[in-house]
Amino acid sequence: MTAIKLTNIDKYFGTGLSRVEVLTNVSFTADLGELSLILGPSGSGKSTLLTIMGGLQTPDQGEVLIDQQNLTKLSPKQRDQLRLNKIGFVLQSYNLLPYLNVRDQFKLVDRVKGKGNLPQAELDHLLTELGIDRLLNQYPGELSGGQNQRVAIARALYTDPQIILADEPTAALDSNRVKVVGQLLKQMAQDHHKAVIVVTHDLRLREFADHTYQLMDGHLTREA
Amino acid sequence: MFLALKEIKHAKFRYALITVMIMMISYLVFILMGMMLGLANENKAAINSWGTSTVFLNKNANGNLSASMLTKDQLPSRLNKHEALVGQVPVVVTRVGSQHKLKENAQVIGLDRQQFIAKEKIALTAGHQAKETHQVVVDEGLRAKGYRLGDRIRLNSSEQKYQIVGFTKDAKLNVAPVIYTTLTSWQQLKGVNNRVVASGVVTDRTEPASRFDQLSRYTAATFIQKLPGYTAQNNTFTFMIAFLMVISLVIIAVFLYILTMQKMNNYAVLRAQGIPAKHLVGATLAQAVILMLAGVIGGIIFTWITQLVLPTTVPILMNWPIIAGISLVLIILGMLGALLPVRMILKIDPVKALNN
Ligand SMILES: Nc1ncnc2c1ncn2[C@@H]1O[C@H](COP(=O)(O)OP(=O)(O)O)[C@@H](O)[C@H]1O
Ligand SMILES: [Mg+2]
Repeated sequence: MTAIKLTNIDKYFGTGLSRVEVLTNVSFTADLGELSLILGPSGSGKSTLLTIMGGLQTPDQGEVLIDQQNLTKLSPKQRDQLRLNKIGFVLQSYNLLPYLNVRDQFKLVDRVKGKGNLPQAELDHLLTELGIDRLLNQYPGELSGGQNQRVAIARALYTDPQIILADEPTAALDSNRVKVVGQLLKQMAQDHHKAVIVVTHDLRLREFADHTYQLMDGHLTREA
Repeated sequence: MFLALKEIKHAKFRYALITVMIMMISYLVFILMGMMLGLANENKAAINSWGTSTVFLNKNANGNLSASMLTKDQLPSRLNKHEALVGQVPVVVTRVGSQHKLKENAQVIGLDRQQFIAKEKIALTAGHQAKETHQVVVDEGLRAKGYRLGDRIRLNSSEQKYQIVGFTKDAKLNVAPVIYTTLTSWQQLKGVNNRVVASGVVTDRTEPASRFDQLSRYTAATFIQKLPGYTAQNNTFTFMIAFLMVISLVIIAVFLYILTMQKMNNYAVLRAQGIPAKHLVGATLAQAVILMLAGVIGGIIFTWITQLVLPTTVPILMNWPIIAGISLVLIILGMLGALLPVRMILKIDPVKALNN
């Protein structure tokens, strides 16, 4: 089932001579239960594409559909709401508030979004699955990079979104850790039935992807 | 509130430091306020205790009672029962025959014992009203300085001795205790002849200027404003208090600004995740209020303790309604200080969360 659909997206920054066309005629579809990997060198527009998928930026052309809703037509408030309910972000850094322990990272979500979050039993199961069930009273500053990233993944899954958007989730990790995170992302797609979209320049993640795309000079192409 | 409290709990020390700072500032504000009111009171308590409504002085006196002299021909032949002649002269009091040299600055107020001030307005706390020419009723302040009923005192270097027969409270003028005597004694101390009958006329109901057309008329409020040093003193205190309040605003603003700066990346991620900005703004405002409230309550407790231990001779007057009002203003200022970080939070672009 299609979770998100982008059609003919254009995005440029600046005007006149300083105008940069970052995305040209990009179309993309992601299904629930699949991990899509978008590869591209630094500056190729990966993050820009991800912000457009997440409704953080509006494209200059084209439309973004999530659940028949055209993101470009929503008000900022509605887009906040949509992100809160349907999208989970896993970013390179700053995923966790330094002054909340792991347990409170989830409580914060409860404060803002009262309904539709994972029930306690499922959260416990998820935390055990991620190997962070013993860290509930720890603060982010007390965790390793890998532990932090796993808490961030659990945090993203906690709202039970249909789409997970990950921006360079392995940037700070060594090869062993990359494997673990790659595995987790794949698990999120398959076992938790999410549409997981990962943008990265880290080729080591390739082996975990169901579909791989290349973003180059503003054009998105799907690898055979 | 959740975020606000969690953050305070996680960084207790910094928040405690700021709270202590706010506490010290609010304590200073309250004490300065107390001193301002206390000194203001010592400037004018006597005037208020007479129920003064209007004051008439010599046209050249510029509102200064002790510089004013009234002659008989400037007054109507009879005064009504709402009018009283008042003579003022500053003196040095010495106790006669004491081993310890007791010397105090005081204000002699000469009164006509048949007029309303002497008859109605001098409420005794001890002793009796003066019956004989050289008996005096004096301010409680002199009792605190060691003077007792029955003590004989000398005013300036005159040979004449006076006897303290009564104490009264709220008899302070120009930050000195008042000694109530007769107009005759006043004439002697002032060194004027019988033609000069008083310094001014005080009335306890509003009287028109036409009542004493050769004199200048002052309302009680303007008369008090013109007391030597009174307005300047109040302005100085007001300026200090206002400035301290602005400082507390700046402290809160800078503190929350720095903390918010440090959290901008996290906040961008939270905004990307769909956490509404109002949730983050609420946390910052709540912290401003918590910091101010804790600081102000601490300041009030210290002020209260100070009042308990201060000797009564120190002219500090705690006015709790005013302190409550200032506390409220401080809390509002704290919230104003939070506006700068609030603005930053509102302007966060969640796109930044992905471009680090
Ligand atoms: N707000 C912006 N204003 C101007 N240029 C931008 C803006 N955001 C991104 N860019 C430019 O767009 C290009 C793609 O950026 P980005 O999407 O962050 O690439 P990537 O994530 O692949 O490294 C870069 O050249 C960047 O400088
Ligand atoms: Mg990027």
